[in-house]
Amino acid sequence: ILDDPDLKDIDPTVLKHCHAAAATCILEAGKQKADISAISACLEDCKLDKERIDQFCTEYQHRELVTVVSSSIGRSPLHITDVSWRLEYQIKNSQLHKTYQPSYLVTLNVENSDSGSHRDVSFSCTMEQLQDLVGKLKDAAKSLERATQM
Amino acid sequence: KLNIGVDTIQHGVEGLVYLLTESSKLMISEVDFQDSIHVLGFSDELNKSLLQLYLDNRKEIRSILGELAPRLPSYHSLEWRLDVQLASRSLRQQIKPAVTMKLHLNQNEDQTAQVLQTDPATLLHLIQQLEQALGEMKMNHCRRIVRNMK
Repeated sequence: ILDDPDLKDIDPTVLKHCHAAAATCILEAGKQKADISAISACLEDCKLDKERIDQFCTEYQHRELVTVVSSSIGRSPLHITDVSWRLEYQIKNSQLHKTYQPSYLVTLNVENSDSGSHRDVSFSCTMEQLQDLVGKLKDAAKSLERATQM
Repeated sequence: KLNIGVDTIQHGVEGLVYLLTESSKLMISEVDFQDSIHVLGFSDELNKSLLQLYLDNRKEIRSILGELAPRLPSYHSLEWRLDVQLASRSLRQQIKPAVTMKLHLNQNEDQTAQVLQTDPATLLHLIQQLEQALGEMKMNHCRRIVRNMK
């Protein structure tokens, strides 16, 4: 904003205040999910003229991105974003030969909402254990489906 | 009671341990075992006792050796819970479903529990990917390898 040629005649401090005020207004209104009539009423109380109110409201309509960002702010446990797996067949190791054991190596890609860092969780499991895991995940999914139908 | 020096007994025990663990580790056949100890020049009766000792104990020795091999954390169990976020400090009036899970893993006799979360879309993706992983064991390629490597 400070580089905009149309605004170069205005005192930068005033410009910053205006920008901050407008941003706060939009964020607060968005946070409360206020609708157009509520905002108009509010701005009328602040003695803004009709043209300015209409302009503000039109811009406010385009706030989907702001809502998305607002909804993603906040603490949550580590979030799983993806999973990768590997199926291997062990033949021998340094302690034991002729082991002949299949096993899965599963890695859950995990993101931390705060730092955006990746901390993957890896573990090995047998086929039965993986079946148990998938069974439980499917129970959770079924539960979700039932909940959305309520 | 045996009237032999401590050192001799110690060497004897160590020798016996080495013989049994190496034989169990390699899972050698009866014939190979007999051939191996034949060179030691013991009596037939002693050789028979050694062979019996090997056959009686090798399963247990192998399972103990199996515990010593390098291992990744292994799956123990999974608990899950359905959550819906209704509001946060930055946004009111939300309906944000999430599945919160507690993944129990075993690592070298310690059990760890990790709390993770995921959204419905990722949950379905996880299920699909892991079902594909399970399907691999039933494919011809895997079956052939398991069959031929016994």
